[in-house]
Amino acid sequence: MVALELAAVTKRYGSRTALADVSLAVPEGSSIGLLGPNGAGKTTALRLLLGFTRPSGGGVILHGHDPMEPAAREGVGYLPERLALPGRMSVHRFLRLHGSLGGLVGADRDEEVDEVMALTGIADRARDRLSNLSKGLLQRVGFAQAFLGKPRLLLLDEPTSGLDPIGVRDARDWITGARERGCTVLVSSHILSEVERTCDHVAVLHEGRVVASGPLDQVVRADENLEDAFIRLVRG
Amino acid sequence: MRPSVLTQFRTLAGEAVLDAVRRRIIAAIAVVSLLSLMLVDTCTTCSGGDVVVNGQLREIAAIAGWTGTVTFAVLGLWSIVLAGVLASEHLAQTLADGSATLALARPVGRRTFAFARLAGSLVIAFATGAVLLGGTALFLHARSGLPMGPALVAGASCAVGAVTLAALAMTASLYISRIATVMLVFIATGTATLANLLGMFRDASGGVMGAIDRFGPPLCTSIALALSPWIDEVRVPGSPLEIAIRHCGWAVASIALLGAAFRRLEIRD
Repeated sequence: MVALELAAVTKRYGSRTALADVSLAVPEGSSIGLLGPNGAGKTTALRLLLGFTRPSGGGVILHGHDPMEPAAREGVGYLPERLALPGRMSVHRFLRLHGSLGGLVGADRDEEVDEVMALTGIADRARDRLSNLSKGLLQRVGFAQAFLGKPRLLLLDEPTSGLDPIGVRDARDWITGARERGCTVLVSSHILSEVERTCDHVAVLHEGRVVASGPLDQVVRADENLEDAFIRLVRG
Repeated sequence: MRPSVLTQFRTLAGEAVLDAVRRRIIAAIAVVSLLSLMLVDTCTTCSGGDVVVNGQLREIAAIAGWTGTVTFAVLGLWSIVLAGVLASEHLAQTLADGSATLALARPVGRRTFAFARLAGSLVIAFATGAVLLGGTALFLHARSGLPMGPALVAGASCAVGAVTLAALAMTASLYISRIATVMLVFIATGTATLANLLGMFRDASGGVMGAIDRFGPPLCTSIALALSPWIDEVRVPGSPLEIAIRHCGWAVASIALLGAAFRRLEIRD
């Protein structure tokens, strides 16, 4: 079963083509790293998957639905690259709000909020205002909201941005933990070593086109690491 | 568990109200509203005695209907403008600061999100309108003996007008800047009011203003119609039913337009 699919997707912004005839299917339970230089179209692909924008051509399917339909986004955890959190809210209140929006209610929601706060190491900051947290802690809150409701698909855009080395290690463990319980993971990142450690598939985007995709061991040759493969694919 | 749209709406609308309360403009609105009420208080204290109108001696009580109608209509239109101004960034701001992104990544419909933001700004506008218009109606009733019924209907009419203008302002704010939207709110309300006044007093049924009066939102006409029991001289063109249907029709169409526009919008994070 396919968790998400981009089928011959083209996305244009005026005269600029952000994605050109991109096809990508991610099976349920797999983890894929979306790689590419700046402006390659990674964030555009994520925006299409979340229904934030419509393709100029081709089709996008998320959990069997058009991403514009709310049902497509059920069980999706999303961590954006530019995390905008309401500074006036406490950590606990923010997570309760997102739990409610995700369909959690009452004691189940509170239990889930406590669980993700404990997982991401922010339980002791539950009552703190978001405006009082450091960038690293905010990123942990971002992870916590993405993990709410035990999502079956995680879309993570530059997930380790702002995290210290301990946070990076923790994030890797959280992603691995999600994978182990069957969650599909899509990570868009510049940090190739992280992708190499957390994903079993990769797709490399360059100038809006997929230049390589498949299992990690097929994209990366025996005599190279992911960084070597990335440079080879992007520079030609 | 599939989230209930109603729960999502309630949750988002609650947040939208809190967002609206925290805006700096609220303090200014509170001060202006308080000053307006104080003015109404002063203006309605002279309920006894005589006054010369067009060379004729008349009791103040006899012209209370006119002054009451004008006062109520001005404050009613101000409440409608206020709803438009409040709505002019209440949705656009969430897109600008990126806070809409996380909510819309959840199984939240675009329309649910937009309507919740609209509801949030309207709660504040309605509360202000209720204080202003309720206070005015009470003063006019207690001091000039004007009946409360027409004021209640006129207040409801202002609420419908507020919904129309807020929804249109919110839609416009998705495409143009806040300042341009606020200017549009003032221009639209002013034009509709002028067209309605021309329709009532000059029978200007032709031209652009005539078309606005006949087909546009009857912001001023509906208030005048509701308050017509207070005065005898004003003739409101069109049947009350037609005006009420047009007024509500504009509100429904404006909300539908907001929903359609937000659904089509490209969201950038």
